[in-house]
Amino acid sequence: MPVRTGERDRCTTGIDGLDTILYGGIPRANTVLLTGSCGTGKTSLALEFLIHGAVKGENSLFISVTENSEKLLANIIPYKFFDRTLIKSGRLVFVDLPIMYERLGMTKAELSMEEIDLLVSAIRDLAAELGTRRLVVDSITSVCYKLKTSEKIRDFILRLSKALSDLNCTSILVGEVAAQSSAYSSFGVEEAIADGLILMANMERRGDLLRTLQVIKMRGTMHSRTKYVLDLTPMGVLLVPLLKGGSTG
Amino acid sequence: MTPERVGAQQIANELAEMPPSSAVSLQMSVDNYLDVIRGVVDLFANKNGMDTIYVTATISSEAIKRVLEALDIDSSRVYFVDCISHIMMGAPAAQQDERTTLVESPTMLENLMLKVEYLIRRSQSKGKLVVIDSINSLAIHNNNWILSEFLHILVSGLRSREAYTVILSVEEHSTPEINNMVTLVCDHGIRAGRQEG
Repeated sequence: MPVRTGERDRCTTGIDGLDTILYGGIPRANTVLLTGSCGTGKTSLALEFLIHGAVKGENSLFISVTENSEKLLANIIPYKFFDRTLIKSGRLVFVDLPIMYERLGMTKAELSMEEIDLLVSAIRDLAAELGTRRLVVDSITSVCYKLKTSEKIRDFILRLSKALSDLNCTSILVGEVAAQSSAYSSFGVEEAIADGLILMANMERRGDLLRTLQVIKMRGTMHSRTKYVLDLTPMGVLLVPLLKGGSTG
Repeated sequence: MTPERVGAQQIANELAEMPPSSAVSLQMSVDNYLDVIRGVVDLFANKNGMDTIYVTATISSEAIKRVLEALDIDSSRVYFVDCISHIMMGAPAAQQDERTTLVESPTMLENLMLKVEYLIRRSQSKGKLVVIDSINSLAIHNNNWILSEFLHILVSGLRSREAYTVILSVEEHSTPEINNMVTLVCDHGIRAGRQEG
């Protein structure tokens, strides 16, 4: 991919199709909301983004909220490019957020503004200590359930986004939406704050269920806005354009 | 040399004259299928050390494997994208393995392209051949608009990867619309087998 002068530095995702869609990758230090319903491939794509980064020598951090990271690793697609020495060497780190909550004494169902501050600081300090260049939170929606109000959610994502951006860290926040929802997020706040929005979905066409991906917005770069069909393979996420001739959506 | 062998060798010779990244339309009659298989897979791809990605929408990959075996053709470098076995409910279908990838339905053309892309990336071979068997079978399940778009994107992608594409069509089942869409994306046409009339 040619580098154009005057453009922002890119964080190449390593997913060829996505880097092409983004004209070279995610602008470095952007915070991207990767959203979609269950079974659309969000976690696999986010994980692949981190693995490619770690393979390139960029320290990568996966913050797991909904799933124990050991279970996550047990179910990982047998990627041809994934080597467990990336974990042993500390290039790719997995942290379970519930353990962080526990250590920070956040036992209540709802976090206070002070606790939000504390949580953002803890994530920032961890990312700084590890020299993290790529970070994934899976899922941000689960964190938002502990924040309850739109104001707190907005505040949390803004602060987290700023803290990570200041570290020159490119981050993906995985969001969950209901299967039939036309919204981009569960709380209607997340997508407005994030620098980028990538929507993954299950699209039914004449009885066939296709996994699709569409970049809705990405600050700092031009990007394709068309819909693509994806496949999760041991060679990573592969993408082809959705054929329009039979599209119903 | 029997007429079948001559036919197969002619097909292989014509393909060998084309540069990599070429797309070729191969029209055949129904009773000429074995010649075409021998010419394309054995005398062209195998002889030139290529991996073959065989997209089947007509008969199951298991049936084609049996054909290759019967013809004594080495199939160790033939990889199948099987679009038909999954919809043959109850029939003895192909099993997904290292050399066979199943697509749920011939209507899932994007998934077909993705499986081809996956096998192209996985292949260590310098030369690659993708066979579409056949455009007529895909036309049973898809309208001409989407099929035409599919061919255009698939062939363009394969050209960029310097893979040969051979699109099989059966003369007896073809229509002017299908012939036109194949002609549009192909550089060369081969007519194999006997012509009626």
